[in-house]
Amino acid sequence: MPSSPLLIMISDPRMSAHDTGGGHHPETASRLEAIDRRLQNGFSGGIIEKVKSQPIDRQLLLAFHREEYLFRFEERALSGHSYLGHPDNQINHASYDAAMVSAGAGVVGIDLLENRDIKSVFCCTRPPGHHAERAMALGFCFFNNCAVAARYWQQRYNRRRILILDIDAHHGNGIQAAFEEDPEVLYVSIHEHPSFSFPGTGFAEENGSGSGKGMVLNIPLLPGAGDNEVLDAITEKVGPAIIAFEPEAILVAAGFDGHRQDDMSGLNYSTDLFLQLGLSIGKWAEQFSCGKVLSILEGGYHLDSLAESVEAYLIGLTSP
Amino acid sequence: MQVTKYMSTPVITVTPETTLAEVYRIFRRGTFRHLPVADPAGRLIGMVTDRDMRSALPSSLGMTEKQREDAGSSIVVEQFMSRVLRSLQPTSTLDDALLLLDRDSIGAVPVIDENRVIRGIFSIRDLLRAYKKLFSVGEKGFALITVIADNQPKALSRITRIIEDMDLTVSRLVLVPGDSTEPSKIHIRINTLNIPAVRKTLLAAGFQPVLPDCDTSC
Repeated sequence: MPSSPLLIMISDPRMSAHDTGGGHHPETASRLEAIDRRLQNGFSGGIIEKVKSQPIDRQLLLAFHREEYLFRFEERALSGHSYLGHPDNQINHASYDAAMVSAGAGVVGIDLLENRDIKSVFCCTRPPGHHAERAMALGFCFFNNCAVAARYWQQRYNRRRILILDIDAHHGNGIQAAFEEDPEVLYVSIHEHPSFSFPGTGFAEENGSGSGKGMVLNIPLLPGAGDNEVLDAITEKVGPAIIAFEPEAILVAAGFDGHRQDDMSGLNYSTDLFLQLGLSIGKWAEQFSCGKVLSILEGGYHLDSLAESVEAYLIGLTSP
Repeated sequence: MQVTKYMSTPVITVTPETTLAEVYRIFRRGTFRHLPVADPAGRLIGMVTDRDMRSALPSSLGMTEKQREDAGSSIVVEQFMSRVLRSLQPTSTLDDALLLLDRDSIGAVPVIDENRVIRGIFSIRDLLRAYKKLFSVGEKGFALITVIADNQPKALSRITRIIEDMDLTVSRLVLVPGDSTEPSKIHIRINTLNIPAVRKTLLAAGFQPVLPDCDTSC
């Protein structure tokens, strides 16, 4: 009888067709290839099962994005424009379809977590999503993969209390915008301080609004901050907030650009920090969500450290 | 950059004959702490702050809120208003306001025209709001790059041109003069996530990127 996989990784070649034009653009298909190479033989003796993604249903995207934005994005991609809204957001003819497949990975992952005896799904996706706003591409992101996945989890499986933990070096402004008035979703983000770092949001004072007051926890770190600052924040702020929230489902916006070798931020994380983060998340999952965690790739642009960090994170996450 | 764009209007004013009890009610209803005193033509003749009002009110010891309010019915504004008047003009800039508010340690100041007619009131809160907007604090899509200013002329205009040639926008450009211990630095707030690409371009033009000044030791 074959062993059950320790982890399912969702990937899809259609996401590699999204071309950001070369030059100095760091968000390239080689990011996914680097992770794939690193994990091709499994890790720590564990078995990784690979599953392809599916283009997301348009209706699911509309749980966050505006329809006119979908039309505009598709039209700009198919008509040969080189970017959407800002030169950061480079596109080609395949970008709209790639973004649909990228956003669909979370949906496929949630279906697997809910219907199979599997605890961890890692969506190895691009383009990333956490900066995407309702009607605006931002910071290489077009569709907010985490936001639409969380809404799907709520609507399809009635998992109401969802934790979204964002470990990318940059604040996930789009995720915060999606849920800052929602009392059922806790958004926690650890990122480089917005006085210095893109996108300029994510101050500690931003903590949700209206009925979602208190449902956003931003932890900005000064440039140069490293493992100790993150681990202290986990112990003193993040852990207590998650325990008080008692999430039914856990979704991780898994960005790895805080690594000290990645020049997209001034943070100073080691590879081992991602192992520690995986361990902590795995423990919260055991406590609150039957061990189940959906992780969706966000940033991470230094290819070697990205691949190493993803592996370290997944080792931590799947440790018994 | 002028105060008229950010001042609060319309302004609630009182007259010299307004009772202390009415001032008490106005402050209790509102979210402000400063009331200009105007003549019938709307000209500025005095100011009342909530501190002036509290000083004029009888002690709260042994009195209910209603009794305190009633006790203020026999006192009028003219008896406790401030006649030392500071003001801004519609042509005053945000810097004028900042210097005045800071120098005199006051929370708000009326904006009056050439006939002394009150046109608005400008508070520290308005100042914060103005600079938040002008410096794009909290605006989505921006990041900070710091470079060492080279000793060549027109450093700021050269940087601006480089960045605009990349189809990017500068929302803040600040030159902090150096001293004997450190060189002059230029802080550039710019609307891109692709900071490494901008750093490389600036470096090629002779501007050495550096990490921002911040002390993580505490």
